[in-house]
Amino acid sequence: MSAEQTRKLIALAAIWAALLLAPYWMVPLGGYTALATRVLVLGLAAMSLNFLLGFTGVLSFGHAAYFGLGAYGAGLALKFVALSTPLALVAGMLLGGLCGAVLGTLIVRRRGVYFAMVTIAFGQVFYYIAFQWSSLTGGDDGLRGFSRQPLDFGAFKIDILSSANNFYYFVLFCFALAVGAMAFILRSPFGRTMIAIRENERRARFLGIPVERHIWIAFTLSCFFMAFAGALYALVNNFADPRGLHYSQSGDFVMMAVMGGMRSFWGPLLGAAVFVVLQDYLSSITVNWMSFVGLLFVLVVLFFPRGLLGFLQRSKA
Amino acid sequence: MWQLLLFNVTNGLIIGAFYVLMALGLSLILNLSNVINFAHGGFLVIGGYIAYTITPYIGFWGALLLAPPLTAIIGLAVERVLIRPLYGRDPLYSLLLTFGLAFMIEDGTRFIFGPQGKPVTIPAFLAQPLSNELFFITGYRLFMVAVVVIAVALLFLLLRYTRLGIRIRAGTLDLDTVAALGINVQMLRSLNFAVGIFLAGLSGVLAAGQLGLEPTMGTGLLMPSFIAIIVGGIGSLPGTLAGGLLIGVASGLTAVFFPAASEAVIYVMMAVVLLLRPRGLFGEEGMMS
Amino acid sequence: MNVLDINNVTKRFGNLVAVRDVSLSVAKGELCAIIGPNGAGKTTFFNLISGFFPPTSGSITFDGRDITRLSTHERVTQGMARTFQITEIFPELTVFENVRIAAEVAGGFRLRPWINRNEAAQVHARVEETLKLVSLETKTDRLVGELAHGDQRAAEIAMALALKPHLLLLDEPTAGMGDQETYQITQLIRRLHRDSNYTIVLIEHDMRVVFHLADRICVLDQGRMLAQGTPQEIAANETVQAAYLGNAA
Repeated sequence: MSAEQTRKLIALAAIWAALLLAPYWMVPLGGYTALATRVLVLGLAAMSLNFLLGFTGVLSFGHAAYFGLGAYGAGLALKFVALSTPLALVAGMLLGGLCGAVLGTLIVRRRGVYFAMVTIAFGQVFYYIAFQWSSLTGGDDGLRGFSRQPLDFGAFKIDILSSANNFYYFVLFCFALAVGAMAFILRSPFGRTMIAIRENERRARFLGIPVERHIWIAFTLSCFFMAFAGALYALVNNFADPRGLHYSQSGDFVMMAVMGGMRSFWGPLLGAAVFVVLQDYLSSITVNWMSFVGLLFVLVVLFFPRGLLGFLQRSKA
Repeated sequence: MWQLLLFNVTNGLIIGAFYVLMALGLSLILNLSNVINFAHGGFLVIGGYIAYTITPYIGFWGALLLAPPLTAIIGLAVERVLIRPLYGRDPLYSLLLTFGLAFMIEDGTRFIFGPQGKPVTIPAFLAQPLSNELFFITGYRLFMVAVVVIAVALLFLLLRYTRLGIRIRAGTLDLDTVAALGINVQMLRSLNFAVGIFLAGLSGVLAAGQLGLEPTMGTGLLMPSFIAIIVGGIGSLPGTLAGGLLIGVASGLTAVFFPAASEAVIYVMMAVVLLLRPRGLFGEEGMMS
Repeated sequence: MNVLDINNVTKRFGNLVAVRDVSLSVAKGELCAIIGPNGAGKTTFFNLISGFFPPTSGSITFDGRDITRLSTHERVTQGMARTFQITEIFPELTVFENVRIAAEVAGGFRLRPWINRNEAAQVHARVEETLKLVSLETKTDRLVGELAHGDQRAAEIAMALALKPHLLLLDEPTAGMGDQETYQITQLIRRLHRDSNYTIVLIEHDMRVVFHLADRICVLDQGRMLAQGTPQEIAANETVQAAYLGNAA
């Protein structure tokens, strides 16, 4: 085993240890378990976006839509279909993922800023629907009247509603599944075609890769992961918010990915942690927190474009 | 019935005129510099609040003349300091930066002027309706449309006949060649940016007189302007013009028959256009890839 | 049988006729060089063959199949690989990773979210073999973006070779190279042609390279095929000399 591999393995072990023990070290540091849960879910969302942004090199600026659809899918399933947490997660994932798959066909031919513009505009469609269709979605007030359900294994149940720790570990389990799937895909031949497209689209095409089709698949997968994160977020809050679909939420996700380091797999999680904690803190000390978040965007772009982890490691998939 | 129809079509045209002004500015910047200016709505707000601030001293007409160039100067400064370092980098960065800037402008105006709407006084004779039958067509609305028409006409004349305009158009097609001809590309981008922001400032003043001012008003116009550009065809200014009017009228007409869908219709139009004509109504081949 | 048959192909861009009624046949195992002054339409002609855009008229047959309307990646799947005048590589990946992507696509794995040990071993072997062929076997773990220009070229050729092509299109393989690098690339192409029996079409400006390598030379001028023949025939052709060789060589 090379030194590089050893180093990676140690880093990986450290990340998982930190995540597994989060409820025990966050509380003494002044955090709370629910904050850790939120970081995990938003981190998963940022990583899902980065699956497309950092590894396929395609700039989607409307990904919050699929996050929000996941949340509404989960909420609606719990409210109207069945009191089952797993079902809610599946429903949310399918709603967001399938919408992404359909819209993906309309946008894969575009690149760069044009791709960004069209993804923003289509993302707003869903925001608009969630906002207007009050009878189903609760409109501006958001979708309420549902809550996550205990996990029922027949012989025993696990209470994830009132026990913050139990819920954290449930979310961590879901996070591990999704992140594991992403890592698996990125190490596969398909994942390497994504990186090929990011590195040099023309070369990829002339190696016989149908670039549009591969971008569509990557986009769709990314939407499924995103919707899964969104569904988890609905469970975190027992609430789905139309602002979760808005393009400003997309901007936050992109910021998390950039701030943590787009070229690294774990960067967006770190970015999400910093972003969430900072936003939490800023909104508690000033009403003008929006200005500071805006300033953060400007400063990161100008002085820190490669993000925290981009500083520390070479970009390697 | 015809009155209602006319009312909504007129409304649609007027809103469309705003979309056009916003979208043309966005389009100019997008086409030449490959920057999606998320702060464009913010500059509209700045234009509006400048007008609000200076109207008491120099009146509405003075504000109409002065506010847009002042906004453009602020835009120029922003371009110089913040956006210029990002040319040639992934467009993601300028997008994020202007996105953050939009936050700062919205929050900043709220901080300075308060969250409540601010009225801008327009000359009394413009506030009169044309007639009792056409009560909804005030002089100001006609005046707004006239100003937009003149501004758009001047913009197209500028692009067609002046040296700056010709260089902007050439740069849009092939910036490298323009640079190779010894033209100062940085300067070209700055001036082009300023022209775009001038249009945003102008919409700000006009909107202020029509709707009053709110810190969030720019954000609401941003998305329809995006759609105007996409529907018209990215890369084509006449397309942007047509796209803005089209979605304005379409949403005005929908408001007659199915009010709840008046906003949804523009998204539907976008989807339909992208399905049938992926490059948009006026989009040219090669613009997309 | 001919690998490539181009029949009366014309390409217009608006009023400009970039390629005018050109026909060309390339036999299996042949090395055909396309020469001509700047703006003669060589690159447009290459782009027509590799499917950048369809011809305005005429047809292209590859391995007996009509490919006139096929897209780029479909042509690659049929066995056509190309390199570019300005090297197109994946600069932030290693030499090995560059070629592995090509080998995996050629192995039919591009849509696979997994790859088993056996298949991975096959791909691995293919990559090593290809890298040996272009003499990059000692630089497998270097980032391609950090290699010397000549080595980047070799890596690009290796990617094309890993596709197991029936036809190799090389667009100015020695562009921007010094004498030493030109010599090495020329030797490489010669080995591919003589020893590995690849069918090759190349565009080249350097006449030493062309006359050293080519079985047949095609001269394009102002979009038309001015002449084609063996190096000896072309060297003796007065029209060609007047149009091109006289002032270029």
